[in-house]
Amino acid sequence: MKRWLLALFVLVTAVPAHAQDKLVVSIWGGSWRDLVAETVAKKFTAETGVPVEFITGGTIDRLNKAKLAKDNPESDLTFTTSHVGWIYATDGLFEELDTTKIPNAKNLADEARISPFHLGAWAYVYTIGYRADLLGGMKFESWEDLWKPELKGKIAAPDFDPSHIIAISAILSGGDAAHWEKGQDKLKALKPNFKAFYTNDANSQQLLASGETPVQVVLSMNAYYMISQGVPITLAIPKEGAVLGVDTVAIMKGSKKSELAYKFINALYDPEVQAEIAKIKKGSPAVLNARIDPEIAKLPGVFTTAAQWKQQINIDAKLRAEKTAEWRKWFAENIMN
Amino acid sequence: MNPQPFLRPFTAPAVLCTVGLLAAMAAVLQFSFRAYVAGSLEPGAFTLANFADLLKPLYARVFLDTVWICFLTAISTLIVGYPLAYALVRTQNAILKSTLLVIVVTPLFLGEVVRTYSWIIVLGNNGFINSMLMNLGIVKQPVQFMFTTFGVVVALVHVTMPVMVIMLAAGLSHIDLDYQKAAESLGAGPVRTFLTITLPLSMPGVVAGVTTAFAWTFSAFASPQLIGGGKVNMISNLVYQLGFASFNFPFAASLCVAGLALTIVVLSMLRLAARPFDNIRAH
Repeated sequence: MKRWLLALFVLVTAVPAHAQDKLVVSIWGGSWRDLVAETVAKKFTAETGVPVEFITGGTIDRLNKAKLAKDNPESDLTFTTSHVGWIYATDGLFEELDTTKIPNAKNLADEARISPFHLGAWAYVYTIGYRADLLGGMKFESWEDLWKPELKGKIAAPDFDPSHIIAISAILSGGDAAHWEKGQDKLKALKPNFKAFYTNDANSQQLLASGETPVQVVLSMNAYYMISQGVPITLAIPKEGAVLGVDTVAIMKGSKKSELAYKFINALYDPEVQAEIAKIKKGSPAVLNARIDPEIAKLPGVFTTAAQWKQQINIDAKLRAEKTAEWRKWFAENIMN
Repeated sequence: MNPQPFLRPFTAPAVLCTVGLLAAMAAVLQFSFRAYVAGSLEPGAFTLANFADLLKPLYARVFLDTVWICFLTAISTLIVGYPLAYALVRTQNAILKSTLLVIVVTPLFLGEVVRTYSWIIVLGNNGFINSMLMNLGIVKQPVQFMFTTFGVVVALVHVTMPVMVIMLAAGLSHIDLDYQKAAESLGAGPVRTFLTITLPLSMPGVVAGVTTAFAWTFSAFASPQLIGGGKVNMISNLVYQLGFASFNFPFAASLCVAGLALTIVVLSMLRLAARPFDNIRAH
């Protein structure tokens, strides 16, 4: 009997102990989860012996869940987009990072140092992707080319975030994202050329692959995925630059595994891991000391030097977090409907 | 002695669900009267500004479009679903009955997103219908079905069809066949028998089907989102576009409250319009 009771005690105490020996990471599902699992988490577990568990979901779902679980977070780390990260930070959901515990942070690109709470994990661009086979040899050298009358009813853009095209219109009108009102008339002039607005990456892929919208303001990583699937897409980098996007990582405030979380971030910033991420997703490494395959490095929308980072159009993430609702509303009222 | 000793424990789950739903509705209502604070999830002070914003012509148009799409969907589903329900109830052939039942019910087992993506493949410029029309030489350029009200309604009809057919079949199966036989014995042809006996007696099923299809379509999201491509919008799409995609939850909540109020008004009007059919008894 005593032996049974002892076995039961060991079982009961062992399960929670095992449950504590894992790091929980919140991230988007699908290929994003797989990307981190196959690169960062693999290295982290090999170094620490601690398994990584992923909580996946959309940007908004995860943000809401994090808010509801404030101070007692479900995850130890969160991956999210730079401007959404500012909303987490403003609402006190992120822990302030101690960069002395992240040695390779010194090699982060300036544009990847988003805030004291969240840092860039990798970067990409939103730029012009098009089906040259359906456009009779048309080329895109400037964002201005999107306004060509022959593109009437041919363009798609994301419906979840109009910040890219709003910033572009402002820049072409002599303003910038902070003075976006300058570009309102310019953007209204583009309205006839919009055929549809896509909801997510899958929707974007379907519209480009079917030729329904042969021109898109598209996420570079998504375009490269489609190219790998045989869709003949050309990615153009306009002379004004492409719109920089940075996905970030942060430690959740209230995490009881802060030290492990720092080790995970260090695994993320390992130059080889960063090179692997660039290879898999055709994104840009957040650290400048990653040695990536020259074939990947020369792809449009992939940048590896400080100078290349600076060539991109960088909408301040905090401004974007504050302006998203206003921009989105204006876009829905004046462009989409 | 309590005549129903198990009533309380058995109703407890329903009461808990009701309390949960009411709490959620109260939270939405409360949010709809709060100001949006830029860059934060926390709502601000109490305000009526969200509802004032809804008075803009854009929102009125989307609300009217929603009612119009619901109406078109309900009527189209009725037109397509009635013959199916009739055949399902009246056919004596067991194999045909089973086949019809499978065809009618299968969409219920597919997710709305899967169903919608299948319609994108059918309705797209390079889709099944356009390929067929072009191969047959009927059209030279693809017909634009995607991003149109027509395309959205077609996809929504597929969504509402199972419910409509089941409700119509329930209504039709209650009709006493002796009425039909009596009409035929008095010299009425099939069309007259249908128009004067079957159709009027099936009106309770028609009213139930149309009302349910209408209410169901009101909350449609995936079909208008993906087929409409941002060009055909219903209330739920606006909630997503303006609320969730930009974290403006107070404004999203005000859209939800206004949408709910509109649903109640429209369904009440439908109920009033259907009142003359209340006294119809099928047997």
